[in-house]
Amino acid sequence: MLTCLQLVKSFGGVKAVQSCSFEVKSNLITALIGPNGAGKSTVFNLISGIVKADAGKIIFQASKQVSSKQVGGEGINITNKSPEAISNLGMSRLFQKSRLFNNLTVKDNLLLAIDNEDTKFLKNLLGKNKITKEKEGSIKQILKLVEMESFENHIARDLSFGQKRLVELARAILNPHTFLMLDEPVAGVNPKLREVIANILLELKAKQETILLIEHDMHFTFSVADWVVVMQEGKVLVEGKPDEIKNNPKVLEAYLGE
Amino acid sequence: MFTQLLVNGLIAGAIYALVASGFSLIYATCKFVHFAHGPVIALAGYFLYLFFSLLGLNFWIAIILAIILAAFFGLAINVLVYKKFRQRKASPVILLIASFALLILFESLILIFFGADVKTIGFIKIAKGSEFAGAIITPLQIVIIIASAVLFALLFLLMKKTKLGKAMRAVADNKQVSEICGISTEKIYNWVFIIGSTIAGVAGILVGLEQNLEPTMGTSLMIKGFTGAVIGGIGSVPGAILGSFLLGLVENFGIWFLPSGYKDAIAFIILFIFLLFRPQGILGKKNQSN
Repeated sequence: MLTCLQLVKSFGGVKAVQSCSFEVKSNLITALIGPNGAGKSTVFNLISGIVKADAGKIIFQASKQVSSKQVGGEGINITNKSPEAISNLGMSRLFQKSRLFNNLTVKDNLLLAIDNEDTKFLKNLLGKNKITKEKEGSIKQILKLVEMESFENHIARDLSFGQKRLVELARAILNPHTFLMLDEPVAGVNPKLREVIANILLELKAKQETILLIEHDMHFTFSVADWVVVMQEGKVLVEGKPDEIKNNPKVLEAYLGE
Repeated sequence: MFTQLLVNGLIAGAIYALVASGFSLIYATCKFVHFAHGPVIALAGYFLYLFFSLLGLNFWIAIILAIILAAFFGLAINVLVYKKFRQRKASPVILLIASFALLILFESLILIFFGADVKTIGFIKIAKGSEFAGAIITPLQIVIIIASAVLFALLFLLMKKTKLGKAMRAVADNKQVSEICGISTEKIYNWVFIIGSTIAGVAGILVGLEQNLEPTMGTSLMIKGFTGAVIGGIGSVPGAILGSFLLGLVENFGIWFLPSGYKDAIAFIILFIFLLFRPQGILGKKNQSN
């Protein structure tokens, strides 16, 4: 579904990502783990187009039709494409830090993720881009999934940290996609919510979704992931099934410095 | 006297608010000060003068053409100038300097093409104002108040009820996340310039009809609109409207005590007071300036 080939990114003198290559297979949950500063979030930013790569290639394979958004068939080189172009190819992401539209309601935050009809002025002017019952239905459904039904009309800035996280997760899921990227979805979230989020991820996987996940909580990661890629100092250290990674001496050394 | 000053204040406020709302919409979304909004206002007035007074077109057709051209003019400034700067990762300060350069350029072009003398559109003959609760108000002044109220209501509906408006607010809130949600920020910027410049066009036409046309009219109105927007809370469209009405009222009530030549001084004194004691304005949030 997604292939990163020899990705390189430096910020000034700091080499955040160096010759990083790995593959994300379809219909699986792949976890990207590693100590702080390993370059995981930079890889996410490179994939989603927020930062531009110095070298390397990212090939994305959109496998099915995504709502009204344009979708390519075969592997598309998405290296250094704009974030909105990448999003419209069917990629959705959750940020490490809460990034909701704070002045909008929960419902409007979700509505903006549903399609990209927002900029068609005449449609807006003639009332043809109405917020349809179908769209409202999918918003209600997703809010039920994240157990936030009663917060539909709340302004995003008034929500608690955990609630914001859930709305962001809902937005990432609602954004038409074939590939979902989640940057630390359970960081700072209480144990009950962690369980809710873990169940949501497993449900999505059961629906044949492809997920790439960054997470520091190893218990959570190993309970949901099918494949684990370990990064250290901007490179892929090792990759494999969770059970193999758990006991890999290189991984233990990277984390514990032994 | 009181009602007359109140009416005068409301009329001045309505004009300032038209200028400030478009300017504030652009500032909130694109995050830079678009001073070239001034010449867009002036050009709308001059376009009306060109089509109606010089070319003899039907008055209403001339008005529609002038507003459409003002909208396209604003869009052209964004696409041909600001977009190029954004592609080169220019900071908001560079864009501000570019907007100043455009303001001077277009003001000079108006001067070259239309001359420095004051122009009169001459559609409305000097009308005898009707008396309303002790104040004299002309039909055109009633039109100014009604037209601005209708435009503000439409702008409110656009921002709150349509998906385009919600997308504009989303881009104003967080450009990066908007892009991740698949919203094309460049398209949103284009629409913001079209809408802001359309409102500016209406303001230019109303001022052109009520007063006269002169090349610097856009700059003077822009300064008042900018002051209104700062008083109301820069980046907040309702704040800009509120601040502009406040400015119009204070300016007009001020001349109850001071000679009318001090009108502009009053505006700047209020601006300084706000910048010193409430820099975030009436409706602005403290962290917005960060």
